[in-house]
Amino acid sequence: MELSKEECVNAALVLQKTIKALKEKDALVLKDLSNQTIHSSCTFQDSGTITSAVLIYTLSKLIERSDYKKIPSWDKFEKKISSFLKLAISALKQNNHDAYERHMIKARQTLESVSRNLKPYIEEVLRKASINKASKIHEHGISSEKTARMLGLTQWEISEYLGSKPVQERLTEKLTIQKRIALAQSFFS
Amino acid sequence: MTKEKILIFDAGPLINFSMNGFLYLLEELKKSFNGKFLITKQVKYETLDRPVKIQRFELGALRISQLLKTKVLEMPESLNISESEINARTAELKNTANHILENKGKGIEIVSDAEMSCLALSSILSERGIENIIAIDERTTRLLTENPKDLEMTIAKKTQFPVKLSNKSFNDLKKFENFRFIRSPEIIYVAYKKGLLHIEDPKALEASLYATKFKGSSVSWDEIKALKKM
Repeated sequence: MELSKEECVNAALVLQKTIKALKEKDALVLKDLSNQTIHSSCTFQDSGTITSAVLIYTLSKLIERSDYKKIPSWDKFEKKISSFLKLAISALKQNNHDAYERHMIKARQTLESVSRNLKPYIEEVLRKASINKASKIHEHGISSEKTARMLGLTQWEISEYLGSKPVQERLTEKLTIQKRIALAQSFFS
Repeated sequence: MTKEKILIFDAGPLINFSMNGFLYLLEELKKSFNGKFLITKQVKYETLDRPVKIQRFELGALRISQLLKTKVLEMPESLNISESEINARTAELKNTANHILENKGKGIEIVSDAEMSCLALSSILSERGIENIIAIDERTTRLLTENPKDLEMTIAKKTQFPVKLSNKSFNDLKKFENFRFIRSPEIIYVAYKKGLLHIEDPKALEASLYATKFKGSSVSWDEIKALKKM
Protein backbone atom coordinates (compact mmCIF):
# COMPACT_ATOMS: atom_id res chain seq x y z
CA MET A 1 0.00 0.00 0.00
CA GLU A 2 1.27 3.51 -0.84
CA LEU A 3 1.85 6.07 1.89
CA SER A 4 -0.83 8.70 2.38
CA LYS A 5 0.14 12.37 1.84
CA GLU A 6 0.25 12.89 5.59
CA GLU A 7 2.57 9.90 5.98
CA CYS A 8 4.82 11.18 3.18
CA VAL A 9 5.28 14.39 5.18
CA ASN A 10 6.07 12.36 8.33
CA ALA A 11 8.49 10.07 6.51
CA ALA A 12 10.28 13.11 5.01
CA LEU A 13 10.57 14.66 8.47
CA VAL A 14 12.06 11.45 9.87
CA LEU A 15 14.67 11.39 7.11
CA GLN A 16 15.53 15.06 7.69
CA LYS A 17 16.11 14.33 11.38
CA THR A 18 18.12 11.24 10.41
CA ILE A 19 20.52 13.32 8.33
CA LYS A 20 21.06 15.66 11.29
CA ALA A 21 21.46 12.84 13.84
CA LEU A 22 23.86 11.00 11.55
CA LYS A 23 26.00 14.11 11.23
CA GLU A 24 25.97 14.55 15.01
CA LYS A 25 26.53 10.81 15.57
CA ASP A 26 23.54 10.68 17.90
CA ALA A 27 22.70 6.98 18.25
CA LEU A 28 19.78 7.52 20.63
CA VAL A 29 17.96 9.88 18.28
CA LEU A 30 18.57 7.51 15.37
CA LYS A 31 17.12 4.58 17.33
CA ASP A 32 14.07 6.64 18.23
CA LEU A 33 13.59 7.72 14.61
CA SER A 34 13.78 4.10 13.50
CA ASN A 35 11.05 3.18 15.97
CA GLN A 36 8.88 6.02 14.68
CA THR A 37 8.89 4.50 11.20
CA ILE A 38 7.62 1.17 12.53
CA HIS A 39 4.06 2.40 13.01
CA SER A 40 3.68 3.26 9.33
CA SER A 41 5.68 0.16 8.29
CA CYS A 42 2.93 -1.95 9.88
CA THR A 43 0.03 -0.06 8.42
CA PHE A 44 1.27 0.74 4.93
CA GLN A 45 3.93 -1.99 4.54
CA ASP A 46 5.68 -0.07 1.76
CA SER A 47 9.22 -1.15 1.06
CA GLY A 48 10.64 2.40 1.30
CA THR A 49 9.58 2.80 4.92
CA ILE A 50 10.66 -0.73 5.86
CA THR A 51 14.10 -0.13 4.30
CA SER A 52 14.23 3.18 6.13
CA ALA A 53 13.48 1.54 9.52
CA VAL A 54 16.21 -1.10 9.07
CA LEU A 55 18.77 1.36 7.67
CA ILE A 56 18.31 3.96 10.43
CA TYR A 57 18.49 1.27 13.13
CA THR A 58 21.68 -0.16 11.59
CA LEU A 59 23.26 3.31 11.55
CA SER A 60 22.28 3.79 15.20
CA LYS A 61 24.00 0.51 16.10
CA LEU A 62 27.18 1.38 14.18
CA ILE A 63 27.41 4.68 16.03
CA GLU A 64 26.37 3.32 19.43
CA ARG A 65 29.15 0.71 19.35
CA SER A 66 31.63 3.13 17.74
CA ASP A 67 31.88 0.60 14.90
CA TYR A 68 31.55 3.45 12.42
CA LYS A 69 35.24 4.08 13.11
CA LYS A 70 36.01 0.86 11.25
CA ILE A 71 34.52 2.32 8.08
CA PRO A 72 37.25 3.97 6.01
CA SER A 73 36.57 7.66 5.30
CA TRP A 74 33.38 7.73 7.37
CA ASP A 75 32.77 11.41 6.59
CA LYS A 76 32.66 10.71 2.88
CA PHE A 77 30.39 7.74 3.51
CA GLU A 78 28.07 9.79 5.73
CA LYS A 79 27.76 12.45 3.01
CA LYS A 80 26.91 9.79 0.40
CA ILE A 81 24.19 8.24 2.58
CA SER A 82 22.81 11.71 3.36
CA SER A 83 22.68 12.59 -0.34
CA PHE A 84 20.46 9.57 -1.01
CA LEU A 85 18.30 10.46 1.98
CA LYS A 86 17.91 14.00 0.59
CA LEU A 87 16.82 12.55 -2.77
CA ALA A 88 14.33 10.33 -0.92
CA ILE A 89 12.96 13.40 0.88
CA SER A 90 12.48 15.21 -2.46
CA ALA A 91 10.68 12.15 -3.84
CA LEU A 92 8.39 12.04 -0.80
CA LYS A 93 7.57 15.73 -1.20
CA GLN A 94 6.47 14.98 -4.78
CA ASN A 95 4.54 11.87 -3.66
CA ASN A 96 6.81 9.85 -5.95
CA HIS A 97 6.77 6.50 -4.15
CA ASP A 98 8.87 4.60 -6.68
CA ALA A 99 11.66 7.16 -6.49
CA TYR A 100 11.45 7.16 -2.67
CA GLU A 101 11.91 3.37 -2.58
CA ARG A 102 14.71 3.52 -5.14
CA HIS A 103 16.71 6.11 -3.19
CA MET A 104 16.25 4.23 0.08
CA ILE A 105 17.54 1.04 -1.55
CA LYS A 106 20.53 3.01 -2.90
CA ALA A 107 21.24 4.29 0.61
CA ARG A 108 21.17 0.72 1.95
CA GLN A 109 23.41 -0.47 -0.90
CA THR A 110 25.89 2.28 -0.03
CA LEU A 111 26.13 0.80 3.45
CA GLU A 112 26.44 -2.76 2.15
CA SER A 113 29.24 -1.88 -0.24
CA VAL A 114 31.27 0.11 2.28
CA SER A 115 34.35 -2.13 2.05
CA ARG A 116 35.05 -5.73 1.12
CA ASN A 117 36.60 -6.49 4.50
CA LEU A 118 33.65 -5.08 6.42
CA LYS A 119 30.95 -6.55 4.16
CA PRO A 120 30.23 -9.69 6.28
CA TYR A 121 30.11 -7.57 9.42
CA ILE A 122 27.78 -4.95 7.90
CA GLU A 123 25.54 -7.71 6.52
CA GLU A 124 25.29 -9.23 9.99
CA VAL A 125 24.41 -5.86 11.56
CA LEU A 126 21.77 -5.33 8.86
CA ARG A 127 20.37 -8.85 9.46
CA LYS A 128 20.15 -8.24 13.19
CA ALA A 129 18.53 -4.85 12.55
CA SER A 130 15.98 -6.55 10.30
CA ILE A 131 15.21 -9.12 13.02
CA ASN A 132 14.85 -6.34 15.59
CA LYS A 133 12.45 -4.43 13.34
CA ALA A 134 10.58 -7.67 12.63
CA SER A 135 9.98 -8.18 16.34
CA LYS A 136 8.61 -4.63 16.60
CA ILE A 137 6.30 -5.16 13.62
CA HIS A 138 5.12 -8.50 15.04
CA GLU A 139 4.47 -6.74 18.33
CA HIS A 140 2.03 -4.51 16.42
CA GLY A 141 -0.16 -7.53 15.61
CA ILE A 142 1.19 -8.59 12.21
CA SER A 143 1.73 -12.36 11.92
CA SER A 144 5.29 -13.65 12.14
CA GLU A 145 5.17 -15.16 8.64
CA LYS A 146 3.87 -11.91 7.15
CA THR A 147 6.54 -9.99 9.08
CA ALA A 148 9.27 -12.33 7.87
CA ARG A 149 8.15 -11.81 4.27
CA MET A 150 8.12 -8.02 4.67
CA LEU A 151 11.74 -8.00 5.85
CA GLY A 152 13.14 -10.78 3.69
CA LEU A 153 13.75 -13.02 6.71
CA THR A 154 12.71 -16.57 7.61
CA GLN A 155 10.35 -17.52 10.41
CA TRP A 156 13.25 -19.44 11.96
CA GLU A 157 15.18 -16.21 12.53
CA ILE A 158 12.14 -14.45 13.95
CA SER A 159 11.06 -17.32 16.24
CA GLU A 160 14.37 -17.35 18.06
CA TYR A 161 14.33 -13.60 18.61
CA LEU A 162 10.67 -13.43 19.67
CA GLY A 163 11.30 -16.07 22.31
CA SER A 164 13.86 -13.85 23.96
CA LYS A 165 11.49 -10.88 24.17
CA PRO A 166 9.08 -10.33 27.07
CA VAL A 167 6.58 -8.39 24.95
CA GLN A 168 4.46 -11.34 23.93
CA GLU A 169 2.33 -11.25 27.06
CA ARG A 170 0.33 -8.25 25.87
CA LEU A 171 -2.58 -10.02 24.20
CA THR A 172 -5.15 -11.92 26.18
CA GLU A 173 -6.00 -15.47 25.23
CA LYS A 174 -9.70 -16.04 24.69
CA LEU A 175 -9.43 -19.73 25.57
CA THR A 176 -8.04 -20.48 29.00
CA ILE A 177 -5.06 -22.81 29.17
CA GLN A 178 -7.27 -25.36 30.95
CA LYS A 179 -9.74 -25.37 28.04
CA ARG A 180 -7.01 -25.61 25.42
CA ILE A 181 -5.38 -28.48 27.28
CA ALA A 182 -8.74 -30.27 27.52
CA LEU A 183 -9.13 -29.80 23.75
CA ALA A 184 -5.66 -31.21 23.09
CA GLN A 185 -6.11 -34.16 25.44
CA SER A 186 -9.48 -35.15 24.01
CA PHE A 187 -8.07 -34.87 20.47
CA PHE A 188 -5.18 -37.20 21.31
CA SER A 189 -7.30 -39.64 23.36
CA MET B 1 -13.56 -48.28 14.52
CA THR B 2 -13.27 -44.57 15.41
CA LYS B 3 -13.02 -42.04 12.62
CA GLU B 4 -9.63 -40.77 11.51
CA LYS B 5 -8.57 -37.40 12.93
CA ILE B 6 -6.21 -34.86 11.39
CA LEU B 7 -3.72 -32.61 13.12
CA ILE B 8 -2.66 -29.78 10.78
CA PHE B 9 0.71 -28.20 11.54
CA ASP B 10 1.52 -24.57 10.90
CA ALA B 11 5.19 -23.66 10.51
CA GLY B 12 5.61 -22.28 14.07
CA PRO B 13 5.31 -25.52 16.10
CA LEU B 14 7.49 -27.45 13.63
CA ILE B 15 10.21 -24.80 13.75
CA ASN B 16 9.88 -24.65 17.53
CA PHE B 17 10.14 -28.44 17.95
CA SER B 18 12.99 -28.70 15.49
CA MET B 19 14.99 -25.99 17.27
CA ASN B 20 14.31 -27.60 20.66
CA GLY B 21 15.02 -31.19 19.59
CA PHE B 22 11.39 -32.17 20.26
CA LEU B 23 10.50 -33.60 16.84
CA TYR B 24 10.83 -37.13 18.26
CA LEU B 25 7.65 -36.35 20.22
CA LEU B 26 5.68 -36.17 16.98
CA GLU B 27 6.95 -39.64 16.03
CA GLU B 28 5.94 -40.94 19.45
CA LEU B 29 2.54 -39.26 19.44
CA LYS B 30 1.82 -40.50 15.92
CA LYS B 31 2.24 -44.15 17.02
CA SER B 32 -0.88 -44.03 19.17
CA PHE B 33 -2.79 -41.44 17.12
CA ASN B 34 -5.70 -42.54 15.01
CA GLY B 35 -5.13 -40.28 12.06
CA LYS B 36 -2.61 -38.20 10.19
CA PHE B 37 -0.36 -35.21 10.83
CA LEU B 38 -0.60 -32.99 7.74
CA ILE B 39 1.28 -29.98 6.43
CA THR B 40 0.41 -27.86 3.41
CA LYS B 41 2.78 -26.98 0.59
CA GLN B 42 2.98 -23.43 1.99
CA VAL B 43 4.05 -24.69 5.42
CA LYS B 44 6.55 -27.06 3.78
CA TYR B 45 8.07 -24.05 2.02
CA GLU B 46 8.54 -22.18 5.33
CA THR B 47 9.84 -25.17 7.29
CA LEU B 48 11.83 -27.08 4.69
CA ASP B 49 12.18 -25.80 1.14
CA ARG B 50 13.44 -22.32 2.06
CA PRO B 51 15.48 -22.94 5.25
CA VAL B 52 17.26 -25.95 3.76
CA LYS B 53 19.05 -23.47 1.49
CA ILE B 54 20.27 -21.40 4.46
CA GLN B 55 23.28 -22.86 6.27
CA ARG B 56 22.12 -21.64 9.68
CA PHE B 57 18.82 -23.57 9.43
CA GLU B 58 19.75 -26.45 7.12
CA LEU B 59 19.92 -29.10 9.85
CA GLY B 60 16.60 -28.07 11.37
CA ALA B 61 14.98 -28.26 7.95
CA LEU B 62 16.49 -31.69 7.27
CA ARG B 63 15.02 -32.98 10.53
CA ILE B 64 11.58 -31.94 9.27
CA SER B 65 12.33 -33.51 5.90
CA GLN B 66 13.00 -36.79 7.71
CA LEU B 67 9.51 -36.69 9.24
CA LEU B 68 8.04 -36.41 5.74
CA LYS B 69 10.17 -39.33 4.52
CA THR B 70 8.96 -41.54 7.38
CA LYS B 71 5.37 -40.34 6.88
CA VAL B 72 5.06 -38.94 10.38
CA LEU B 73 4.12 -35.79 8.48
CA GLU B 74 2.16 -36.11 5.28
CA MET B 75 0.89 -33.83 2.55
CA PRO B 76 -2.87 -33.30 1.97
CA GLU B 77 -2.63 -35.30 -1.27
CA SER B 78 -2.54 -38.39 0.97
CA LEU B 79 -6.22 -37.65 1.59
CA ASN B 80 -6.89 -36.80 -2.04
CA ILE B 81 -7.02 -33.09 -1.31
CA SER B 82 -5.44 -31.28 -4.21
CA GLU B 83 -2.94 -28.45 -4.01
CA SER B 84 -5.13 -26.32 -6.28
CA GLU B 85 -8.13 -26.69 -3.96
CA ILE B 86 -6.05 -25.57 -0.98
CA ASN B 87 -4.47 -22.73 -2.95
CA ALA B 88 -7.83 -21.35 -4.03
CA ARG B 89 -9.23 -21.49 -0.49
CA THR B 90 -6.00 -19.99 0.92
CA ALA B 91 -6.17 -17.04 -1.47
CA GLU B 92 -9.79 -16.39 -0.51
CA LEU B 93 -9.11 -16.52 3.24
CA LYS B 94 -5.95 -14.43 2.96
CA ASN B 95 -7.73 -11.77 0.95
CA THR B 96 -10.55 -11.62 3.48
CA ALA B 97 -8.24 -11.58 6.51
CA ASN B 98 -6.13 -8.81 5.02
CA HIS B 99 -9.19 -6.58 4.59
CA ILE B 100 -10.83 -7.15 7.97
CA LEU B 101 -8.84 -4.39 9.65
CA GLU B 102 -8.71 -1.03 7.95
CA ASN B 103 -6.85 2.23 8.16
CA LYS B 104 -8.80 5.00 6.42
CA GLY B 105 -10.72 2.48 4.34
CA LYS B 106 -7.65 0.53 3.25
CA GLY B 107 -7.03 -3.03 4.41
CA ILE B 108 -4.04 -3.87 6.60
CA GLU B 109 -2.15 -7.00 5.62
CA ILE B 110 -1.86 -9.02 8.81
CA VAL B 111 -1.45 -12.60 7.60
CA SER B 112 0.38 -14.54 4.93
CA ASP B 113 0.07 -17.78 2.95
CA ALA B 114 1.25 -20.53 5.30
CA GLU B 115 -1.06 -19.80 8.22
CA MET B 116 -4.05 -19.21 5.91
CA SER B 117 -3.32 -22.49 4.11
CA CYS B 118 -3.78 -24.29 7.45
CA LEU B 119 -7.20 -22.70 7.83
CA ALA B 120 -8.00 -23.55 4.22
CA LEU B 121 -7.10 -27.21 4.76
CA SER B 122 -9.03 -27.30 8.02
CA SER B 123 -12.19 -25.93 6.37
CA ILE B 124 -11.92 -28.45 3.52
CA LEU B 125 -11.53 -31.31 6.01
CA SER B 126 -14.48 -30.09 8.07
CA GLU B 127 -16.65 -29.96 4.96
CA ARG B 128 -15.73 -33.61 4.41
CA GLY B 129 -16.74 -34.43 7.97
CA ILE B 130 -13.16 -35.11 9.11
CA GLU B 131 -12.37 -33.96 12.66
CA ASN B 132 -9.31 -31.75 12.73
CA ILE B 133 -7.32 -29.28 14.81
CA ILE B 134 -4.63 -26.79 13.81
CA ALA B 135 -1.35 -26.70 15.74
CA ILE B 136 -0.32 -23.07 15.52
CA ASP B 137 1.79 -20.81 17.72
CA GLU B 138 0.97 -17.72 15.70
CA ARG B 139 -1.19 -15.48 17.84
CA THR B 140 -2.46 -13.19 15.07
CA THR B 141 -4.24 -16.04 13.29
CA ARG B 142 -5.71 -17.41 16.51
CA LEU B 143 -7.00 -13.97 17.50
CA LEU B 144 -8.60 -13.52 14.09
CA THR B 145 -10.78 -16.50 14.93
CA GLU B 146 -11.05 -16.31 18.68
CA ASN B 147 -10.83 -12.62 19.56
CA PRO B 148 -10.74 -10.21 16.57
CA LYS B 149 -11.66 -7.23 18.76
CA ASP B 150 -8.41 -7.72 20.69
CA LEU B 151 -6.45 -7.75 17.45
CA GLU B 152 -8.12 -4.50 16.40
CA MET B 153 -7.30 -2.87 19.74
CA THR B 154 -3.67 -4.03 19.66
CA ILE B 155 -2.95 -2.77 16.17
CA ALA B 156 -4.74 0.55 16.77
CA LYS B 157 -2.92 1.11 20.06
CA LYS B 158 0.50 0.14 18.77
CA THR B 159 0.43 1.91 15.42
CA GLN B 160 -1.36 4.97 16.82
CA PHE B 161 -3.35 5.01 13.57
CA PRO B 162 -7.15 4.93 13.38
CA VAL B 163 -7.44 1.19 12.78
CA LYS B 164 -10.84 -0.48 12.98
CA LEU B 165 -12.72 -3.57 11.90
CA SER B 166 -14.14 -2.95 8.41
CA ASN B 167 -17.86 -2.51 7.82
CA LYS B 168 -17.92 -5.87 6.07
CA SER B 169 -16.08 -7.56 8.90
CA PHE B 170 -19.21 -8.91 10.58
CA ASN B 171 -19.82 -11.19 7.61
CA ASP B 172 -16.15 -11.71 6.82
CA LEU B 173 -15.34 -12.87 10.34
CA LYS B 174 -17.86 -15.69 9.94
CA LYS B 175 -15.35 -17.33 7.58
CA PHE B 176 -12.96 -17.58 10.53
CA GLU B 177 -15.37 -19.16 12.95
CA ASN B 178 -15.28 -22.84 13.89
CA PHE B 179 -11.51 -23.36 13.69
CA ARG B 180 -9.86 -25.09 16.63
CA PHE B 181 -6.29 -24.43 17.69
CA ILE B 182 -3.66 -25.89 19.97
CA ARG B 183 -0.11 -24.63 20.46
CA SER B 184 3.33 -26.15 21.02
CA PRO B 185 2.96 -26.09 24.84
CA GLU B 186 -0.28 -28.11 24.71
CA ILE B 187 1.39 -30.74 22.53
CA ILE B 188 4.30 -30.91 24.97
CA TYR B 189 1.84 -31.28 27.86
CA VAL B 190 -0.02 -34.14 26.16
CA ALA B 191 3.27 -35.88 25.34
CA TYR B 192 4.40 -35.45 28.95
CA LYS B 193 1.16 -36.92 30.31
CA LYS B 194 1.54 -39.87 27.95
CA GLY B 195 5.06 -40.43 29.28
CA LEU B 196 6.72 -39.66 25.96
CA LEU B 197 9.17 -36.96 27.01
CA HIS B 198 11.70 -39.56 28.22
CA ILE B 199 13.34 -37.06 30.56
CA GLU B 200 13.18 -38.40 34.07
CA ASP B 201 13.26 -35.36 36.24
CA PRO B 202 10.53 -33.57 38.21
CA LYS B 203 11.37 -30.41 36.27
CA ALA B 204 11.05 -32.04 32.84
CA LEU B 205 7.63 -30.50 32.08
CA GLU B 206 8.46 -26.95 33.13
CA ALA B 207 11.81 -27.06 31.35
CA SER B 208 10.14 -28.23 28.16
CA LEU B 209 7.46 -25.54 28.39
CA TYR B 210 10.08 -22.85 28.96
CA ALA B 211 11.95 -24.16 25.92
CA THR B 212 8.88 -23.72 23.70
CA LYS B 213 8.40 -20.19 25.03
CA PHE B 214 12.03 -19.25 24.39
CA LYS B 215 11.74 -20.40 20.79
CA GLY B 216 8.80 -18.11 20.07
CA SER B 217 5.62 -19.89 21.16
CA SER B 218 3.12 -17.34 22.46
CA VAL B 219 2.54 -18.89 25.87
CA SER B 220 2.54 -16.61 28.90
CA TRP B 221 4.36 -17.16 32.19
CA ASP B 222 0.98 -17.42 33.91
CA GLU B 223 -0.10 -20.16 31.55
CA ILE B 224 3.10 -22.10 32.20
CA LYS B 225 2.50 -21.71 35.93
CA ALA B 226 -1.05 -23.05 35.50
CA LEU B 227 0.18 -25.98 33.39
CA LYS B 228 2.69 -26.98 36.05
CA LYS B 229 -0.15 -27.20 38.59
CA MET B 230 -2.47 -29.27 36.39
